[in-house]
Amino acid sequence: MIIFSKRLSMINLEISDSKINIPNADISKPKFTINNETKKIYVTANKGNFLNNNEILLKDNVRFKSNEFSIETEKVIFNRDNQTAQSKTKSLFKSKNTTISSDGFDIFDSGDRIVFYGKSFVILK
Amino acid sequence: MRLILKLIIIFIFSTSVLALEKGETEITTEDGIEVFQNEKYYLLKKNVKILSDTFSLNADLVKIDFDKSLYDIVELNAEGNVDFISPEFKLNGNGEKLRFEVNIEKLKVEGIKSELITEDIEMFSDGYIEVNNINGNFSLIGPNSKLINETILIKGNSIKGIFSSKEDQKEVIFLDVFDDKISYVKNNDTEMFAKKIIFNNEISLIELIDDVTIIRDGEKITGNYGTLDTKNNSYKIKSNDKTKVKVIIQNNE
Repeated sequence: MIIFSKRLSMINLEISDSKINIPNADISKPKFTINNETKKIYVTANKGNFLNNNEILLKDNVRFKSNEFSIETEKVIFNRDNQTAQSKTKSLFKSKNTTISSDGFDIFDSGDRIVFYGKSFVILK
Repeated sequence: MRLILKLIIIFIFSTSVLALEKGETEITTEDGIEVFQNEKYYLLKKNVKILSDTFSLNADLVKIDFDKSLYDIVELNAEGNVDFISPEFKLNGNGEKLRFEVNIEKLKVEGIKSELITEDIEMFSDGYIEVNNINGNFSLIGPNSKLINETILIKGNSIKGIFSSKEDQKEVIFLDVFDDKISYVKNNDTEMFAKKIIFNNEISLIELIDDVTIIRDGEKITGNYGTLDTKNNSYKIKSNDKTKVKVIIQNNE
């Protein structure tokens, strides 16, 4: 059993993984935390693959969750250096009384700026 | 063929409306949404359609400022081919830009051929039209500004006024019209021209200041200052020392 245990050097970014091995995945059940001045965003997925030193491809049931919102999608490229995330798969954003579905998204500025791509659909309650 | 097309349009619109639950707002965009959490606003990009159970709005780009969360809308700014309709408030309009400040219920439509149409009043301007629903203040500023209701037609570069707070009818209770070329008011059978025209419903008086002309029943009277009593439909014209009141009686036969 291969156990990955990486600790990123960035102060405000944490990464951990479970001990379950998934074929074709560098990291199984990866968990990240993105901290900015006002909030924490927890990032989870079923699988993760390192694309290079900074970028990790998160796959299957990828979820970003903070106190204010959550985003669910299937694939995300997460950049641990500049704390950005990019997805080109169907995404669902949920916050209080709001849902946004889109063809993908980018997260910038430690989660303060989120861009939803393509034809997007919003429901406000 | 036209009937079929109409039925298709009605059906599509109806199913879209029926899909909404009461109180829900549905927004679609062609080119995505940009959310700025710290700055508390989001941008809706390209061919934006907003549909709620009280109004619908279409525009090229919409910026929405929010308070606590995205649904908690404080201000809406729309740009490019803006048109909107509210069957509930019997209101529709269009323009190049629109701003709606939710808390103070202030609506501003801006740009060439701006229009704001209510059940009682039609407003047009190539500058902007601004209406405050809470205190009844309104302004039409810019070229080709025009306000029309059942009994009055007003034209001027600057039309400022107040609607009555009666819920059933948006009656104009005060007007201040100015145009450095000439303002125009038509009330029943009387046409009035002056640089500045003031109407006060409380004292039933229209006041005309500078380059005054009143036309009624083929009679044209000019002077520097005039008043029209809207209760008894009588008018007076005064002149300053250097000029005189001039009366022209036209023979229309």
